[in-house]
Order: sequence, then C-alpha cells, then structure tokens
Amino acid sequence: MTATAQTAAAQTAPPRRSLTVLDARTRRRNAAEARFRLFGLMAIAVGIAALFILLASVLANGAGSFRQTFLFLDVHLDEKVLDKSGTRDPEVMNKVTTIGYGKIVDAALKDAIAKNGIAIEGLTDKDVSDMISKEAAALVRDRVLADPTLVGQTIAVKVLANGRIDGYLKGRVTMDSAERDSNVSPNQLRLADAMIEKGLLVKSFNWGFITGPDASELRPEAAGLGIAILGSAYMMLVVLVLSLPIGVAASIYLEEFAPKNRFTDLIEVNIANLAAVPSIVFGILGLAIFINFAGLPQSAPIVGGLVLTLMTLPTIIIATRAALKAVPPSIRDAALGVGASKMQAVLHHVLPLAMPGILTGTIIGLAQALGETAPLLLIGMVAFVRDYPAAPPEGFFDPAAALPVQVYNWTQRADPAFVERASGAIIVLLVFLMVMNAVAILLRRRFERRW
Amino acid sequence: MKEKDGMNVMRESAADIAAASVKIAARGVQVFYGDTHAIKDVDVDIADRTVTAFIGPSGCGKSTFLRCLNRMNDTIDICRVEGRITLDGEDIYDRRVDPVQLRAKVGMVFQKPNPFPKSIYDNVAYGPRIHGLTRNRAELDEVVEQSLRRAALWNEVKDRLQAPGTGLSGGQQQRLCIARAIATSPEVLLMDEPCSALDPIATAQVEELIDELRANFSVVIVTHSMQQAARVSQNTAFFHLGNLVEYGQTAQIFTTPRDPRTESYISGRIG
Repeated sequence: MTATAQTAAAQTAPPRRSLTVLDARTRRRNAAEARFRLFGLMAIAVGIAALFILLASVLANGAGSFRQTFLFLDVHLDEKVLDKSGTRDPEVMNKVTTIGYGKIVDAALKDAIAKNGIAIEGLTDKDVSDMISKEAAALVRDRVLADPTLVGQTIAVKVLANGRIDGYLKGRVTMDSAERDSNVSPNQLRLADAMIEKGLLVKSFNWGFITGPDASELRPEAAGLGIAILGSAYMMLVVLVLSLPIGVAASIYLEEFAPKNRFTDLIEVNIANLAAVPSIVFGILGLAIFINFAGLPQSAPIVGGLVLTLMTLPTIIIATRAALKAVPPSIRDAALGVGASKMQAVLHHVLPLAMPGILTGTIIGLAQALGETAPLLLIGMVAFVRDYPAAPPEGFFDPAAALPVQVYNWTQRADPAFVERASGAIIVLLVFLMVMNAVAILLRRRFERRW
Repeated sequence: MKEKDGMNVMRESAADIAAASVKIAARGVQVFYGDTHAIKDVDVDIADRTVTAFIGPSGCGKSTFLRCLNRMNDTIDICRVEGRITLDGEDIYDRRVDPVQLRAKVGMVFQKPNPFPKSIYDNVAYGPRIHGLTRNRAELDEVVEQSLRRAALWNEVKDRLQAPGTGLSGGQQQRLCIARAIATSPEVLLMDEPCSALDPIATAQVEELIDELRANFSVVIVTHSMQQAARVSQNTAFFHLGNLVEYGQTAQIFTTPRDPRTESYISGRIG
C-alpha cells in the first residue's frame, strides 16, 4: 500500500470508539434482550404459580377423603332378630333387611355409650342412630350372611360414622353450622366429642375410598372409587391393546411402504384432522355404532375403550410417524445395503430406534384417554354402578364407571362431603397420570440408544 | 443406441478394459429424478477383481449411477432408471430379480459410517444371519472374525465384540461397515465416498484395505479425491453433468486424458 492510499483510508475511516463505552444502538439491543428475558421469566412464573395453586387446592380439598371417621362397636347379633327360625339357613336369613340390622347396630352404639358413662342432655334415639352411617347395617348384614354361624355371638366391628360427624372431625361441620342443619344436631357433635375422648370414634386410613363402590347421595362417607378405578383400568387395557398395534402398523405402512400420491396425502390430512375432532363427537359415534348398531352393552368398559381407542389412534399415529421420520435414513440404507428386505430393515433397525418416541406418544395418548370424560357420558359410563365388574375378559362387558366421570358425578351432588370426595378422586387420577408418565420416562431411558 | 462424439472415444478405451472379464455392464443407462435427467446415456463395463473409480465434480451423478448398480435407487420414489445393467450377463432390472438377492451379491459402503446401533458382533453378523449363510454359532463366529480381519479391524475390536458399534472412532466405524458389507461374501463392493468423513490416517487404512479387497471382489469406488482415485484404482470413469465423459485405465486418464473436460477437471480448472 502506498503512502497516499494510507492517508486516504485514514481520512475516510470512522473515528475509533472505545470498547468500554456502549453506543446507543447496543444499549437499545441490550435493553430489548433484558425485557425479553423478563417476559420469559414472568411467563414461567405464571405457569408454575397456576400449577401450584391447582395442586394445592386439589390437595387441600381432597386429602381428607383418604382418612375417614370410624366407630368401633361390639355388636351382639341377636338370634331373635336375625334368625327367628334358628335354622341358620341363608335363604331364610336373607329376608331380614338392613332395617333389622340397623336396630342391632343402634343398640350396640347405645350400649357402648352407656358403658362408657357418656350422658348428653336432650340426646334422642334418632340422634344416636344417626351417628352411624346407613352403610353400617349393610356391612354387618353382609358379614352375617357370609358366615351365619356368627348369629348369637358378639362381634367387634368397625363401622363408618355418618358423613356429618366425619365432617365435624375434619372441621367441615361446626357447632354453629349444626344449629342450622337439619341433618345434624349440636347434641350429636357433643356426643361425638365424648366418644372421641373414650376412643370410640377414630379417624383412620380410608381403604374404602380406593376400593369401595360409589354410594348414594345420602351416604357420602361410603362413596369409593373402586369401580371407577377398575373401569378406567379396563378401558386403558382395551385402548392399549387396540390402539398400539393398529396405530403402529398404520404409521409404519404410511411412512415406509405407502406410495406418495394424492390418496395417501388425503389420508394424512384426515389423520391430522381426526386428532382435532372434539372428543364428544367420538362419544356420539360410539353411541351410534357400538351401542345402537353393534348392540354392545351400555356403560361397559369395552365400549368406552373402543371410543377412546378411536380418539387415541390419531395421537399415536402422529407420534409414531414423527418417531419413524426421526430415524436417520442412513440406518435404512445400511440395512438395505446388506440385503435386508424392506420389512427386515424396518423391524430390525428402524422400529427399535423409533421405540422411545412411539412409547412416549402412546402413553401421552393413553393419558389423554384416561382423563377423557365427554365421550363416556354419551355411552352411559355415567350410570350409578354398585357391582364390581368381573375379571377380564367378561368384565369388559359389565357395567362400570370411570375415574373422570366419577369426579364429574360427585361434583354434581348436593352434600358438601362430595366436594372432598371429588378432589380425592382427582388426586387418584393425577397419581395414575404421574405413574403413567413415569413409566413413559423409564421406557424411554430403557430404549434410548444413540446413533 | 445413440452415438455421440465423446462416446466413440470412450468406447475405444473401454475396449481395453472389456478385455478383462466384465462383471457389470451398463448400456444406455438413463436416470431421472422426477423431471431432472440425472444420468444421461451411460455405458460402462466394470471389470472383475479390479478397483474402478468414479470421479467428477459434485452433483455430476456418480453416486446416483453407483446406486443404480445395486438398485438402491429403488427406495427413492421419484427415481426412474432406464437402460440395461447386467451382472454376469443377467439384467439386474429384470422383473424377476429381487433387489434383496441382488444386494447380497452387490454390497455397499456409504459415505458416512452408518453402523447399526448394535454390538460390533451383531453389526457384522447381521448380513449372514438374514441370508442364512451360516448353520451354527461357530460358523457365524468364524465369518465375523474373517470379515473383521479382512477389514483390518479385528485386532482393535477382538476383545470388545459386544461393545456397541457406534462407540468406535470414525475410521473404525467405516471399517466396521466394510466388514459388514463383505460378511455376506458379495461379488461386487460399491463404495460411495468411503473416506470423505475420515482423517488421513484412517483414509490410508481404508485405501490399503480396498487394495487388498481387490483380490476377491470387484470394487467400485466413488471419490472426490483425484489423488485417491489415482492411488487405489486401476480404471477410472470421469462423470460430468450426468454424462460419462471418459473411461479408461487410471494411468491413462490422469496422464493423457482424451477429453478436454477431463483434462480441465484433473488439472483443477473445473469442478
């Protein structure tokens, strides 16, 4: 470079600026970046707060349903009431209804009160008998009918306390509210206090909530999730068994074998659309096809499972195709290059590599199906079911409930005790979802390989 | 068949090659990708037990042509192949030919090492297994060991055959892929830029290996490196814009190219 060129360059060059001084443009850019980061943090904070509030409210409302108030009574099974004939013939004893047993249980409670020296002024017989759940008589009756030799003996039983009494122990019912409540009197609450002191009234873990069937409007204390859990489990089984093979086979065919033409394009678009169809539409479809046309029973897990399968299929197909697409083509080339057939290439190499994605998609689909309510309402899963469905496969055709529908059902009921039950059911549902997600993560880890 | 000026010249030099026994003969091969005419009227005779190199600038169709030789282009929907390619006189595009059987005879090694995400042993054993080449475990062990030995990898991996093939270094992976390709005892080995992802040392190892493989196989190698073509091959074909410009003995192509385009390419003026 000549001397003149050098001076010319020096004249046209901008003045040198220090690196330690920020110019206006850089400051604006930095400010914009800081604002963007703040928005991001706020968005995350809102999300976490929403999740936290949701979980906290569900836990606060529902935790109580896992503990229940029980009465410990020594019930004398009077032969004169329960088996007048003295034959111990279950056929004959069957004629004694829960009213008869109710009297025996009431007598046992009165006995216990007297024995423990509890005296409450103005306490009526009705007050005493209302301390116990209506379920108690049925419980004792079932036990006696199962073993008629018990008649004439005195047995120790653990019976549910009335829902209001349970509410009093959980703080839902107070003396003030009892004054205004026709279902519970302050005298009963005083009696409850005295019984707690004597150890007759105890709160303990409520297995009945997890294993028991639903109960009627009048006995929230006895309502359980057993049938709903079974129903949901049966449906998930049906969904898994049907949607995984069908979905994976469809995806493999579409992704690896199908010719690319208008027809397959149309199928692809429709699968994507199907994933966006409102779930209640699937319910109507299920009602029309599976129940009205095919004649499958209402309220049955098989129908629920079929409807949810239809709903889950698009999710699984989309996830599986994405997983198959993500497998590097070099693996297919490698397999074909050593003379594997297309199917061998897919089954031996592509599918194992796509497995983590397929399983994740499947479990996301199953989790969606587990929480789905609307289509189940239309196919009769909303019915009040007291009998446990049989073991599979017959059980698939027996009436059953489903977890989300049970939640919906309980929120419809008047007794405030059902609010606690509904929240408890949501906790059970969330635990199911978390277990499924944990399984998804475990399977992912197990199958994940690098290439 | 169309006769072009360049073709006549090409065919004369090809006559020398044809004197040796011809393994693969291609006549009037055209390849279309949708509307793109990727390979235009290519005639080639590939001799048995020699190394044939395909050179040419990027996008000239040499890899496409290579993939025609074991019908790997079948997997691309929009790809259409015309013309006649014979292996030992049999048309490989005959309706009765199953590409699976063809690929067992015409093995392939790819540009990027692509071992299966399985153990080293399973990588090599895969081909013999699916083709039922061995009757028992001992025979399979034997085939795996031989293949790895011939791919000059045995000494490095013999103690960790159950380790994943993807855990090897790039050069080792490529040699593993070569071992996998020769485990099915193919008659022809196609190599699509096998050294492009390798460092000079690994490249030298693979080149040495190619030279040894010549004793048993007919090797066709696509390469971007003219030095590599000069080092490993006996015959060289120069592709340009989908045409086979010149084909002859490597020494002749690199010292006295007949076509001006070949000369421009090997002297670095085009490409």
